[in-house]
Amino acid sequence: MPSKRISLLWALLIIFGLTLAACGGAATPTAAPAQPTATPATTSAAQPTEAPAQPKVEPTTITVWDYYGESSPITPIVDAFEAAHPDIKVQVESLDWDSTLEKLNVVMTGGTPPDVITLDMTWLPTFAPLGAFADLNQFAHGQLNGVPLEKAFSPGALKAMQYNDQVLAMLYDFDVYALYYRADIFEELGLDVPTTWDELTAVGKKLGDAGKGQYAVMPDTFHAAQFIYENGGSILNADNTAATFNQPAGVEAVSYYANLPKEGAGYVWSFEEGWEITPGLKDGRIAMFSDGPYYMGILKDAVPEMSGQWKVAVHPISKQPGSYLGGTGLVIPAKSEHPEAAWQFIEFALTKENQIGVFENAGAAPALLEALQSDAVNAPDPYFGGQRTLEVFLKAMDTAQPFPYVRAWNQIDETFTAAMEEILFGDADVKEALDNAAATIDDVLSSQ
Amino acid sequence: MIHHRSPLRRRLRQYGIGYAFVAVPVLAGVIFLLIPMITTLGWSFTRFNGLQPPQFVGIDNYARLFTHDRIFIKALWNTFRFTILGMLIGPTLGLLTALMLNQKVRFQAFYRTAYFLPVMTSLVVVATIWRMIYNKHGLLNLALGALGLEPIRWLSDPHWALFSIVIASVWQGFGFETVIFLAALQGIPATLYEAAALDGANVWQRFWHVTLPALRPVILFIYIIGIIGSFQVFDQVFVMTSGGPANSTITLVYYLYSKFMDLRLGYASAIAYVLFGILMVFSYLQWRFFTETD
Amino acid sequence: MFPSRRTSLAKLMRGALYLTLTLSSLLMLLPFYWTVSTSFKLEQFVFANPPQWWPDPITLQNYIYVFTRIPFPRYLFNSVFVAVVATGAHVFFDTLAGYAFSKLRFPGRDAIFFAMLLALMIPFQVNLIPLYRIMAWFRWLDHYQALIIPNITGIFGIFLMRQFINSIPDELLDAARIDGCNELNVFLRVVFPLTLPGIATLVIFTFMDIWNAFLWPRLVLSSARMFTLPLGLAQLQARNTSTWGQIMAGTVLTALPMILIFLVMQRQFIAGMTEGAVKQ
Repeated sequence: MPSKRISLLWALLIIFGLTLAACGGAATPTAAPAQPTATPATTSAAQPTEAPAQPKVEPTTITVWDYYGESSPITPIVDAFEAAHPDIKVQVESLDWDSTLEKLNVVMTGGTPPDVITLDMTWLPTFAPLGAFADLNQFAHGQLNGVPLEKAFSPGALKAMQYNDQVLAMLYDFDVYALYYRADIFEELGLDVPTTWDELTAVGKKLGDAGKGQYAVMPDTFHAAQFIYENGGSILNADNTAATFNQPAGVEAVSYYANLPKEGAGYVWSFEEGWEITPGLKDGRIAMFSDGPYYMGILKDAVPEMSGQWKVAVHPISKQPGSYLGGTGLVIPAKSEHPEAAWQFIEFALTKENQIGVFENAGAAPALLEALQSDAVNAPDPYFGGQRTLEVFLKAMDTAQPFPYVRAWNQIDETFTAAMEEILFGDADVKEALDNAAATIDDVLSSQ
Repeated sequence: MIHHRSPLRRRLRQYGIGYAFVAVPVLAGVIFLLIPMITTLGWSFTRFNGLQPPQFVGIDNYARLFTHDRIFIKALWNTFRFTILGMLIGPTLGLLTALMLNQKVRFQAFYRTAYFLPVMTSLVVVATIWRMIYNKHGLLNLALGALGLEPIRWLSDPHWALFSIVIASVWQGFGFETVIFLAALQGIPATLYEAAALDGANVWQRFWHVTLPALRPVILFIYIIGIIGSFQVFDQVFVMTSGGPANSTITLVYYLYSKFMDLRLGYASAIAYVLFGILMVFSYLQWRFFTETD
Repeated sequence: MFPSRRTSLAKLMRGALYLTLTLSSLLMLLPFYWTVSTSFKLEQFVFANPPQWWPDPITLQNYIYVFTRIPFPRYLFNSVFVAVVATGAHVFFDTLAGYAFSKLRFPGRDAIFFAMLLALMIPFQVNLIPLYRIMAWFRWLDHYQALIIPNITGIFGIFLMRQFINSIPDELLDAARIDGCNELNVFLRVVFPLTLPGIATLVIFTFMDIWNAFLWPRLVLSSARMFTLPLGLAQLQARNTSTWGQIMAGTVLTALPMILIFLVMQRQFIAGMTEGAVKQ
């Protein structure tokens, strides 16, 4: 296609070049060709309208957006899928988390969307009310690979997949937070894994005093919400009409969290050191952090040399266990041109074997119960010193809850994060910063 | 008769040729500028998410921006601060450097290259390089440490972040100003200085009464280009801070972009037009200022 | 006594001048040096204290990674292709239009020109989403067209070329016309050669703009095989496994082609650029 554009340009240049020859002769005959030359020039901008349209070839081609990056569980299953479905070709576009969200927003406003998207479940609230995604039940009819949905997924997962009466996503991997800690250092210093906030502070201090790294403190909603939930607080009220994180439970939780660095127990990780905390893991500044199961894959990828040093545990609490519940969903945009083929791909991605692949390739936690119960997933993991890591996350899942389903979630997330940044980086007063953020959010919610 | 008709025909033909020569830019302008611009203007009076049909809301978006939206006010304020800081530091440094280079120095080509090299690099590259330099353990903090000072969180301290972006931007841009000032300085006729010297003017007076007036058009050019560019600052913010921490580096265009990315197209369009309005006012003021003082 | 003291003061001043210039230009180059130096370092030495000015040991592993794990040659090709084609089109159309606005008379000329000047003030972001939708409508998304076609001409370029052509005396054009040249030939034979410095400026600005573009390519391109260098660099940074050494290797490779072009063409670059600005 580009060569066509160039040849057009060349044609133009040649036409102009030819008229040169006439110079020095009579003015009248040469003047004439000058005008028509503009016509091809103008069409040059409009003509390719039809050109790039791909001719309809026999096999349907579906496009899949994949945000997993290098350790993708999607790319390894493409060949097997195409072998099983000779009439469908799969084109995977490998993206990263940020640009997937960006492209998703843009493509929704007018582009040709892909047919399958790996979607962070926290993005669903923004798009669901707009009718951006197809109701998967029209293809699934309540079943996934012949298994009723209620049996395929846990109740929590099922709830997260639904919006009103529709099933908008098939949960592909799940995300709940647990505590990652340096087991080797804990053993060396004779420390016990903290189970309460007080213990977390104490252990963090001891680690810090020994110069062995601290607990990673980050301003984002995922990490801060963990503490609010554990303290019995919430982000929004039950009917999602007002912010509640500035109530006593929330203020207390955020104060505790923000105090960790001041007590020498926490290390404030800021983005100028890297968007990911991996450099801090490598150089030993961070010995504890909280994150989801997908981080197991990142650890293995980014710091393979630390094999045997890390373990996971249930995150320490103050009053009750609690975590956000998210993960990756597979969705079909409402404007997809091949939703049927896309659904076949989703079903294929959610077979037991391929769900185990999510664990083995991406290091993330599969969502399908059958896969979660399989031996392959529950085998002792040598990277984690032979620990059966998934058990920990499964336990956390029992009490985890999805972020509120509101169209304004994006704004809420941004506003809350900004308040956390004021507190952690700008030394703002906790109560005041949270109150301001809550006022902004209330205003946003009331104007929806 | 012939004498009367032929100029008209020639003129008509010239019209045709004129239109033909500007046809592509005009067509491109209509498709890629005018239509999008009008579309955005239309959207700015609606609530629109790109998926469902837009709902007309009158001037609600504009009203909300100025009465309810603290982040917008912050973005506005940050953009002004970025522009003022950058426009104070950049051209001043550029003029000083150009004045030095204009002293018939040797190795002028080397110096000029050194100042100009960053201009050639993309903002993504610049932002990446400075992200490393601004790192908590980066070069700058090592230098501070060597002086016995506390390290600064250049990008994650809300008090520093915007300033850090200004520094990186000035580093990237002032070579452009240097080169242009230098060319303008070299274009000032030596006779003007000789005349001033005969009148007994000292160095400062010569600068004030000869150099500066001669540079006026170039200064106008640099400030128009510079302010328009500064008001549209985006890439550096995008790569270095994403508008954070605590919105301390959020700028108008970044905010507009983030609203687009939240599928609030009507609201984002209103921000776009506020920005457009500000740029128009600025350009008009500058034009008035520089034409009147002539 | 007096004259010699004067000269020694002048010498001192000159010394200070050279010192300032040398120090400040080295300071300007320092970030570049640091980038190159880091790209050859092992990761544990990137933030070493005291800083490792000269990489020790020198390692090529960062470059090997960038070349083997990232389709860098492909990105380079995309960047070059898009920039060359678009710049070529720019030069042609901008000069043509600049000539028309400067030397040809036709009804509405000044109105069109004024409208274009106004349009120069529109921030690109105002048009972002409608423009994206237009690209989608043409089905150009994820194709070179989306990068090239909206960039085949530009108002700034037309404005610039008009300024240059304004300085060509009308008598010269009339002489050519009397010789029997039509407008196109006047343009190609007289105007084009006389505006070569202006064209150099235009080439620089356009090439730089397109080469360095980030936001627009990021939106319209989705497959990695279409990426340009800045997108490749951003993608490298988004990987959670990338190290600073690798990122700096990617930075060097992204910046290097443009810097090489600059070093080779530096005189024309600076001449054209300053001429353009000073002529305003």
